[in-house]
Amino acid sequence: MTVQTAPPELVAPATTAAPAIQLVNAARWYGNVVAVNDVSFSLGAGVTGLLGPNGAGKTTLLHMLAGFLAPSAGTVLVLGRSPHRDPSVYRQIGLVPEREAVYPFLTGLEYVRFNARLQGLRNAELASRDAIHRVGLDDAMDRPIGTYSKGMRQRAKVAGALVHDPQVLLLDEPFNGMDPRQRLAMMDLLGQMAVAGRTILFSSHILEEVERVGTEILVMVAGRLAASGDYRAIRALMTDRPHTITIRSSDDRLLATALMTDPAIFAVELGPNVLSVRTAHLSAFRRLIAGASRAAGVRLFEVVSADESLESVFDYLVRR
Amino acid sequence: MMFTRSVAAVPLIVRVTLRQLMGRRRTVLLLLLAAIPILLAVVFWAAGQVDVHDFASGVLDAVGVTLLLPIVAVLFGTAAFGAEIEDGTVVYLLAKPISRWAIVAAKLVGAAGMTAFLTMASVFVAGAIVLAPLGEDGAAATRAFVAAMAVGSICYVSLFLVLSLFTRRALLIGLIYVLVWEGALSNLLPGIANLSIRQYSVGVANAFWQMKPDEARLSPSTALPLAIVLVVVALALATWRLMRFELPGGSD
Repeated sequence: MTVQTAPPELVAPATTAAPAIQLVNAARWYGNVVAVNDVSFSLGAGVTGLLGPNGAGKTTLLHMLAGFLAPSAGTVLVLGRSPHRDPSVYRQIGLVPEREAVYPFLTGLEYVRFNARLQGLRNAELASRDAIHRVGLDDAMDRPIGTYSKGMRQRAKVAGALVHDPQVLLLDEPFNGMDPRQRLAMMDLLGQMAVAGRTILFSSHILEEVERVGTEILVMVAGRLAASGDYRAIRALMTDRPHTITIRSSDDRLLATALMTDPAIFAVELGPNVLSVRTAHLSAFRRLIAGASRAAGVRLFEVVSADESLESVFDYLVRR
Repeated sequence: MMFTRSVAAVPLIVRVTLRQLMGRRRTVLLLLLAAIPILLAVVFWAAGQVDVHDFASGVLDAVGVTLLLPIVAVLFGTAAFGAEIEDGTVVYLLAKPISRWAIVAAKLVGAAGMTAFLTMASVFVAGAIVLAPLGEDGAAATRAFVAAMAVGSICYVSLFLVLSLFTRRALLIGLIYVLVWEGALSNLLPGIANLSIRQYSVGVANAFWQMKPDEARLSPSTALPLAIVLVVVALALATWRLMRFELPGGSD
């Protein structure tokens, strides 16, 4: 994966194989609103998570890759050619859109078979049943999709998108509505496809979803690529950034005294009925607070990380 | 390869379109509308002593061509694409390696087929009840209005189909076209006949049965080419529009 706009320390080494997905200074704007701003990266085989808060431009980026939006500037290439206004590219692309709607009157099998036949597959029936099996919908394949749960609809959409065994699979928030077991199964499936040489890009606004399936991630914030590269490196950056923690206890002053001697803590602020602590090492703090409060004989009522929202994590990455 | 795949996709999309259009509420509403000419036919039949022209003009033309046909067509024509764009399922058609003209053609066949089936059946049954016993003149009048429904279905649905690809208010604009343009203005300005699908329909019907000049203002030799031009232009526009169709960025 190569990146031009992300901070240099987050850029993974470039691969030598021809990239399946390539963006060069790609941008997309609607009037004065910039949805995607000067994004460059390339992806080869494997699973990549496209991470970012709501409004970051993930869907716009995926729609550009799927050929449904022309870039306002820059270049978007899938398998070496522009996907825009070129229906033949869909022989090699599978798309799982974010919107939930699937033809409610079709059964799961009918829907997947419909996709297979539109792809012109010779053995559409066999391919459809195989795709249904891969997403674990065998038991429900003869039921109308209108009766499916949200998670089942998601899986039906995924089955329809992979029935023709595409080289590139684009998934927009594919884990929405899935229960934890279904998520794990879907993550395994995407992993298997990656091992088979497919390029898979999925978007998510939930960090933990990416953690399980994507070793490579792209982080988008406000239309820009804020970071990209190995998940673990970015996760470490996110974890080890300065954190503010607010604490309510039976004796804030005593607890403050106990905490401020520890090197993991670099600021302590005592307010009315609240203690604010700043640390660069969240995991070390978690271990420290339990022991320090016990040793000082202070009861903890509340320990809250004030800036744990994903948006604040992304914001931190952008400011770096 | 792409062409073969596109041609093969047409019946698949037609089938899905038909199932999509046969929503319960819409079907019940349209069946009730289609029953109106038949109910009026029963009333005429029960009254006895029917004149072919009176029934053709008062029921088949005034109710069938002027009311039933455009309303059924606007509901099916705007829903064929409009409903899919609204709920996002259109992406399942567009993200396929098939030509856009095939998708447009399939939608036209599905929506126009449903419109034609409903309106032709309604007019045919109404004609069979009242006009069939009246000899060849009655049979010709029935044939004429069945043909009018066939031509009108294709023309109206083509227009409303393309309209739904350009605006989300296709249903409203379609109704305004039917009620204001064809309903009110065409009576005041006879020249509008050249731009009226209703006149194309009854103009073609004229080939089967002679209508009064104030009812059918176009001859069949004028109406048919105009209808063909309308359909071709509408399909070309719809294909052009679909090739440029963009999905919004969403709320991500």
